[in-house]
Amino acid sequence: MTSAVSRHHDPRSVDVHRAGFGAEWSTAWNTFWFTPADPLPLAVIRIVTGAILAWSCLVWLLDADAFFGTAGWLRPDQVWRMNDQPWQWSWYFAAPSPTMVRVLGGITLVAAILLTLGLATPVAAVVSLLGVISAANRAPLNVFGLDDTLGMLLVPLAIGPSGARLSLDRWLAIPGQGRGGEPSVRANVALRLLQVHLCVVYIFSGTGKLFGASWWEGTALWGAVANDRYRTLDLRWLAGHPLVVNALTLVTLWWEVGYAALVWPRLTRGLCLSLAVAVHLGIGLAMGMMEFGLAMIAANLAFVPASTFQAVLDSRLMSLTPGTPSDHP
Amino acid sequence: MAFPESKTSLWSPAGRALASVLILGYLAAVIVPPLAGPPPASELAGRILQPLRPLVGALFLGHGYRFFAPNPGPGHSIHWTMMMPDGSLRSGSVPDDITDRPRLLYHRRFMVSEKISALVPPADAPADVQLRARGDWQPLVKGVAATLLRREGGLSVRLEMVEHYLPDPAEVLASGTFSDAVVPLGSYAWAEASR
Repeated sequence: MTSAVSRHHDPRSVDVHRAGFGAEWSTAWNTFWFTPADPLPLAVIRIVTGAILAWSCLVWLLDADAFFGTAGWLRPDQVWRMNDQPWQWSWYFAAPSPTMVRVLGGITLVAAILLTLGLATPVAAVVSLLGVISAANRAPLNVFGLDDTLGMLLVPLAIGPSGARLSLDRWLAIPGQGRGGEPSVRANVALRLLQVHLCVVYIFSGTGKLFGASWWEGTALWGAVANDRYRTLDLRWLAGHPLVVNALTLVTLWWEVGYAALVWPRLTRGLCLSLAVAVHLGIGLAMGMMEFGLAMIAANLAFVPASTFQAVLDSRLMSLTPGTPSDHP
Repeated sequence: MAFPESKTSLWSPAGRALASVLILGYLAAVIVPPLAGPPPASELAGRILQPLRPLVGALFLGHGYRFFAPNPGPGHSIHWTMMMPDGSLRSGSVPDDITDRPRLLYHRRFMVSEKISALVPPADAPADVQLRARGDWQPLVKGVAATLLRREGGLSVRLEMVEHYLPDPAEVLASGTFSDAVVPLGSYAWAEASR
């Protein structure tokens, strides 16, 4: 009986009576989006994203009037010059006084901290998303890839059960009433949205580079190294090693162009994700955009299987438990 | 740890159909904006974007994702010289790599000069190009002037866009000195900058 019910609801067996191309697509679509998934990767992404967002909020608040006030870098009546009004809304348009600007920035900060801790997570994720959108839409002169990436991360975190694991919500839940950590379709939808969005980012970032001669010539990386406005790590010694610059440039280019194809097969996923970590850490360290680099690495975690995170957690727990073999190597 | 598959989390056909529509709408809002811009972009993508604008705008999805493309270019800063109430002159730069700390604050201010620089033609551009571009960049530059005047307490400020020279490897190995390109952005008194 159980197996019959299970088959009836199994998306992979839906529409089996329909034959042909359409049925195959339907089955593949359902399998891709609606197979239950462990929310653990989403929880890890939540913690990293929340921490980065909290830091970003603190930095916004260091110069809140200039970023969001009526007489800052970009006055409210000039914002339309840089983004698509009225659709790019912001709560800072409604409350531009110095006090309210700080209150609204503070609300986002609190939401980001709660998101990191996993306390009142569904509300914290939605408020964090609203805060990121409001800041970015009010201060388009001051935003960059970090803000794009935070937006990309927070939509899935708000949709999925991102507080179902590694959270205070789970820790405080009453035993026996369900703690919500089991695999769910919502977790899968959230992770899939993030995976697909990340592939879109890399496709356009990679193909956009194909317009540039310096990427084909293998010299583009030098352009980043020699730019003293970005530089936080002096790599100008690379001037004497043009082939190294060529290799780094071409690896970056073709990794980015190929990411959307190579990250899905298990055989190439590890290499693809390793290069993602190397490229984004490199940008973070050498060009002073560590927050952006970490946010992109957090997005890449959507491709890491839950079993990998679980193995890390289990090994940590084992090492913390007295008398376990890991205490006596 | 392996979890048993939860039957209750499997969605009904109607639930999946509704979710599929929402997913497709979201994916369209993710994929169409980078197809529609920045240039070069097709008219078709621009037209498809029109009905999606409310969703794209509301969720902050209107990105081109052309990071460091087509080529990494030179960096920019806005150099300022300010007349103070006591008649003295004070100068500085946006961003300021010494005082703008932490680094994320530097980067947010760096974006001001980078984004305005994209609107400012080179100093040797034809006069009609200069005139047309001024209508785009000057309202933004006034905001920079007003912010600096308020922060420093000055009477007027002169601004210049500095394009920092990007040396090639041979020039770095020769340890040469490089001169940056400077484009005047005008002088602004408090009243004009606030207008």
